[in-house]
Amino acid sequence: MSFSELKDRHVAATAMVNTLRDRLNQKRQQLLDTDVAGYAKSQGRTAVNFSSTDLVCCRTLQGHTGKVYSLDWTPEKNRIVSASQDGRLIIWNALTSQKTHAIKLPCAWVMTCSFAPNGYSVACGGLDSECSIFNLNSQVDRDGNLPVSRVLTGHKGYVSSCEFVRDQDTRLITGSGDQTCVLWDVTTGQRISVFGGEFPSGHTSDVLSISINSSNSNMFVSGSCDATARLWDTRIASRAIRTYHGHHGDVNTVKFFPDGQRFGTGSDDGTCRLFDMRTGHQLQVYSQQQANNDQDVPIVTSIAFSISGRLLFAGYSNGDCYVWDTLLAEVRIIQLVH
Amino acid sequence: MQANPAEAAPVIGRSAPAPSDTRGKHWISAEVKRLEQESRFLEEELQQLEKTEKLSAGLQEFLLKVESVPDPLLPETTGPANTSWDRWFEGPQDTQGCRCLIL
Repeated sequence: MSFSELKDRHVAATAMVNTLRDRLNQKRQQLLDTDVAGYAKSQGRTAVNFSSTDLVCCRTLQGHTGKVYSLDWTPEKNRIVSASQDGRLIIWNALTSQKTHAIKLPCAWVMTCSFAPNGYSVACGGLDSECSIFNLNSQVDRDGNLPVSRVLTGHKGYVSSCEFVRDQDTRLITGSGDQTCVLWDVTTGQRISVFGGEFPSGHTSDVLSISINSSNSNMFVSGSCDATARLWDTRIASRAIRTYHGHHGDVNTVKFFPDGQRFGTGSDDGTCRLFDMRTGHQLQVYSQQQANNDQDVPIVTSIAFSISGRLLFAGYSNGDCYVWDTLLAEVRIIQLVH
Repeated sequence: MQANPAEAAPVIGRSAPAPSDTRGKHWISAEVKRLEQESRFLEEELQQLEKTEKLSAGLQEFLLKVESVPDPLLPETTGPANTSWDRWFEGPQDTQGCRCLIL
């Protein structure tokens, strides 16, 4: 085929993709006949009402000397690992607030951490493009530091997020600035699968966050600077199962809903959204009202759901943490940074 | 004998292509394959969407499911109570008090 014939084919293929995307958007819009809040109000539901004694701080974990970028609970929900750009991971007994370990990191620019399901290991990653695993029962070295027990190398960009697969202590998923997610075997340090990258239907920009489905650990969702979230099956690396459009900016955070059939996202566009994993529908937008158009809308940096999913906690770049009623899409508490 | 400068100049685009044209052709060929693959994925998704129910179809089940799970962070929640929740409300508390703004 000649160069000019190839160029013509490229133009035609681009036009076809754009046409199909438009048709897909139009068809999806036709199916969005309501949203969660509209339906809940029509069924007579009212927003959760908090009194001053209903949601109080019961622990403040002090010890880090720099911004805390990430934390993770053990499955028993009694210990926490936190990662800070003071260059340390701290392991906390969440009930007593005591620190059990303070791990000095080889690279201070840490962005993410995760607790292994068995509670004996933690993983972290960041601007060094590696994921480091620490065994909490290891002997400390001469300087009193816990040694790295395994390093997962292979990403060509920063490691923005990592999570152990819940029912398998030996598997970990990472998301990276190199636009890929990777499933690792922690015992060998080998990559089992790479999601995205050279293959089509991968992210087209940095991956900023991942969340593994707690009901089905074969499925995980990723959020990216390409303004989409994508669903992956760990058994099928060649393509994303589904791509979720809607956000107008980087998707900084993704988190599965407790039922494992929906997931939430938070973005640079200042909104959180709830998506149906199976149908792809955008079920709800959680958006702060702008008092003044000149003011920048704070971006959403992290989200979490309460165990029923009724409450959506959203952290914003201005330091606020809002508590949303997920069903009524109303903010119920504005919690200021302490 | 001195070479005629005009004859010494390379012939462009006739016999051997310039290196930049070869790189461009390979890149465009890969891009075309990627776009055609993406078209196939998008057509598959369109076909799936034809069989997908409207958003409202799943919402009744969704509401009931969320409301059926006991949640310790809610002021009122369905039972049964989980006694392990109580451990979080014993022991050290933040002495400065909470500055949450409740709407």
